Amino acid sequence: MKRTVAVVLAVLAFVVAAPLLAAAAEFKLVIPLPLTGKQAKFGEIMKKSYEMAAEEINAAGGIKGSTLALGFEDSTGKPEIARSIVEKLIESKQPVIVGEYTSACAKAVAAVAEERKTPYLVVASADDAITQQNYQYVFRQNPVNAHYADALVNFLVEVAKPKTMAILYESTAFGTSGADAMENDAKKNGIQVVLKEKYEAGAPDFKPILSKVKSLTPDVVYMVSYVMDASLLMKQIKELRLDAKLFAGGAAGFAIPEFTDNAKDAAEYVVSATLWTPQLKYKGSKEFAEKYKAKYQDYPSYHGASAYAALFVLKAAMTAAKDWTAEGIRDGFKGVSLETAFGPVKFENKEGYQNQNFVATLAIQVQKGEFETIWPKDLASKPYNFPVPAWRDRK
Amino acid sequence: MNKRLPPLVLALLAAVPAISLVPGVNANYWLHNLILVVMWSVIGMSWNLLSGYCGQVSFGHAAFFGLGAYTAGLLYVKLGLSAWWGIAATVPVVGAAALVIGFVCLRLRGPFFALATIAVGVILRVVAENLTGFTGGDLGIMIRERTWVEKTWYYYIILAIAAGTFWFVERVVASRLGYYFVAIREDQDAAESLGINTTLYKTIALVLSAVIAGFAGAFYMNYMGYIDPKVVFALHDISIMAIMVVIVGGVATRWGPVVGAVIMILLAELIRTIPKIGAAHHTVFGVLLIVVIIFLPNGIVGDMAKLRRLLRIGRPS
Amino acid sequence: MTAAKIEVLLQTLISGLLLGGLYALIGLGMTIIMGVMKIINLAHGELMMVGMYVAYVLFSWAHIDPYLSILVAAPLLFVLGVGLQKYLINPVMKVDAILPENQVILTVGIGMVLANLATLIFKSDYRTTPVEYATKAWYLSDYWRGAPIELSLSFPWTVSFLFAVAITTGLWFFLSRTDTGKSIRATAQDKDAALLMGVNVERMRVVTFGLGSALVGAAGCLFLPIYYLYPDVGGQFTLTGFVITILGGLGSTFGAILGGLILGVFESLTATYVGMGWAPVGRFVIFVAVLVFVPGGVASLLKRRKLGK
Repeated sequence: MKRTVAVVLAVLAFVVAAPLLAAAAEFKLVIPLPLTGKQAKFGEIMKKSYEMAAEEINAAGGIKGSTLALGFEDSTGKPEIARSIVEKLIESKQPVIVGEYTSACAKAVAAVAEERKTPYLVVASADDAITQQNYQYVFRQNPVNAHYADALVNFLVEVAKPKTMAILYESTAFGTSGADAMENDAKKNGIQVVLKEKYEAGAPDFKPILSKVKSLTPDVVYMVSYVMDASLLMKQIKELRLDAKLFAGGAAGFAIPEFTDNAKDAAEYVVSATLWTPQLKYKGSKEFAEKYKAKYQDYPSYHGASAYAALFVLKAAMTAAKDWTAEGIRDGFKGVSLETAFGPVKFENKEGYQNQNFVATLAIQVQKGEFETIWPKDLASKPYNFPVPAWRDRK
Repeated sequence: MNKRLPPLVLALLAAVPAISLVPGVNANYWLHNLILVVMWSVIGMSWNLLSGYCGQVSFGHAAFFGLGAYTAGLLYVKLGLSAWWGIAATVPVVGAAALVIGFVCLRLRGPFFALATIAVGVILRVVAENLTGFTGGDLGIMIRERTWVEKTWYYYIILAIAAGTFWFVERVVASRLGYYFVAIREDQDAAESLGINTTLYKTIALVLSAVIAGFAGAFYMNYMGYIDPKVVFALHDISIMAIMVVIVGGVATRWGPVVGAVIMILLAELIRTIPKIGAAHHTVFGVLLIVVIIFLPNGIVGDMAKLRRLLRIGRPS
Repeated sequence: MTAAKIEVLLQTLISGLLLGGLYALIGLGMTIIMGVMKIINLAHGELMMVGMYVAYVLFSWAHIDPYLSILVAAPLLFVLGVGLQKYLINPVMKVDAILPENQVILTVGIGMVLANLATLIFKSDYRTTPVEYATKAWYLSDYWRGAPIELSLSFPWTVSFLFAVAITTGLWFFLSRTDTGKSIRATAQDKDAALLMGVNVERMRVVTFGLGSALVGAAGCLFLPIYYLYPDVGGQFTLTGFVITILGGLGSTFGAILGGLILGVFESLTATYVGMGWAPVGRFVIFVAVLVFVPGGVASLLKRRKLGK
């Protein structure tokens, strides 16, 4: 009698435990990104955002019942290390790659992913070339560099109506492609580019080149920089009293809190292209921004928003996929059409890009030390300030 | 033993790809690291020839590495040829560049030569960055489809290059050339007064060293599939790494660069993967460098006897 | 020349001179070390970085102005320099090695450790000391109404420049009027003769490295208000230091000052008239040219004129 009870209990226990054990199945996703080195700041923001997304996804039941277990590997911003990490991941049978930040690393990872027929979701790398290679396995969620400044250019054409423009950009892939893109846009819209000059990132003194810009009196000064050059440029523009109808930045360094923190009053009125702001009305956007700010005391940059949304996109792809092999997930991505905190995500073959998501970009302006969305008008949080007052007249 | 060691090591290394047959072992990951080790031993041997044996300490070997990489890359981008031709093209291109660089810099002695080589490295990097029409500037060069997906053939190619270099350097060092190199290193003026044409031999050392480093660069282009000026002309990641590899391994020894490459690359990868200490890998390297220079100034291989003594002292009697 | 062109030229020259003054301070530390010890200190920029972090910490925690931090940073760096020289560099100079350049490589190792320690403690984040006067400047048009051109003189740049001048003058007095200073110069000129004259060469070496470190640490404090800080900031300044040292002439303080100013002005002019992307090339081409054609630097040129050759 006792024996039978014991056996029945054991079977019952097993029957109850089995689904629990099955539900404890997890999907391990290791994400390569720069956690040390020059790009560490962006890597940190993205890591925190990925973690936040994973938490939410798991709280809602995970992906088809499996818990999403995240891991991170530091590529230090070097392409060889990024590639090495990804090869190791693919070897250990991870069927999908998500992550990286710099365009150089993303290029290296994309090449590996394509070679080894593993889908790769690009989250924050801007270089146009990444989705122009006819790759079948590389999907990019963030817009291409050529489109980064769409809203900004639109603002220029509709509101600022400049006749001349000076472009300053840093000597990296990001800076070069950003400057080229702006030059094309300017030509298309009849704006004469009076100066297009590269500068060495990290230089302490931009005043010589800024004096040159000043002597050409452009209507708009457009700059493409990473973190600190943006602040230094504006500070020195203020020092020189270089006046223009508008100062504009090409995202990155001009769209992060460090810019306003370091340039202070010199940052006021500066307009920048950006891919996302905390004030947007996309589904989940505000909640994400406020949750992040509550936890980390600062709003996330657009890199964070993209990282956050990327995991939801991954979830959608994996939910739709017929199986979780590389091919299955790839097909899953192809079919994704999702409203995320970063905006609508759908991968299309358009304009010579493959598997590229075309989400609208925005323009922001620093007003009273805060970033406000000013363009397009229907997404604006505050009206724009134009023309900007001369330096001498600012208080 | 010494005579049979090189072929033995070579045979061992050649057999390595067989580990892919062992289940559960991440063969590609280890092959990748080994490829890097072998590539760095080539770069190390190149530096060793010029700086270890001939005494002209170069802090700008990235210049030759980068030139080799760009030769291969540009052949692909501009002429549509397979980038592997870069290895052959390295000989005339990097050789010629070395002649020019040597003409300017070899008249400088010791630390001044070192400084000048730093300058050359930086100049080449900035030139590559600015000549956007020619080199692609900061966007770099990307090879659409690498020749092979599997690593095995890459491994054998670099192993062949390394074996060839090892054998070549050994022949040079054992020859009259080697004799002259060392004489110049020890006392250039005495050598000159003995009738040795120091300029000629220094130039030979430089050209040989440059071309070998160029081979490594061309290989890198083919293997990685992507280069840009900041990666291949890097001061810390290439030039100084080359120096570290040989100093730690042992200057002016046959095996020094090989031992050094093994230590530096594998150590780097090991440390990088340990989560907490990962970020500190430069500190570990710096400390390693300092310790080696103070206690084992001729490197592990060079000061093998001293190393043995030190370790023996650590043992309880 | 049009007013605009003149304005660009003058503004460029002003920027160049101000930058040059700061460069000179970096070069001074290095030239003293190189002159006395004949070693290349590839960790020079990292020592500057340490000075900058000291100033940063004092600013963030105690709101002490970076300029005042010199009083703390310089002595701290002096002690650090002395320590490095005594316990790491001196032993290496005594060791018999195949390559005499081992000391240079030693300094590379030291530099790596310093930079990495900074990364571990402070992370790679960019840090600044946003003082209120960061963008203050004097404008020509404020004083001369109706001026045809506008020139601006940045307040923090100018203050840094003046401090650099003051420190340089102080150094000059130290080297020419005090006993220790003269001993240092003697050691630089001829180590053996100095020994014979009773100079404690060992100690002079140690003091010199400490002094050089203190100088570059001070330079760091002066740079902080107008620039920014991150662990790898040292590298570019080490290279700049070399160019100045070689340009000015090894061991010559006056040469370092001239070298700094010349380099500053040259860089600014190149940035304006050739293109800022090419600036590093210009710097290093000059460097190699001087190394090859005028190895004694500007100082040797001046000496030649003085001696009437």
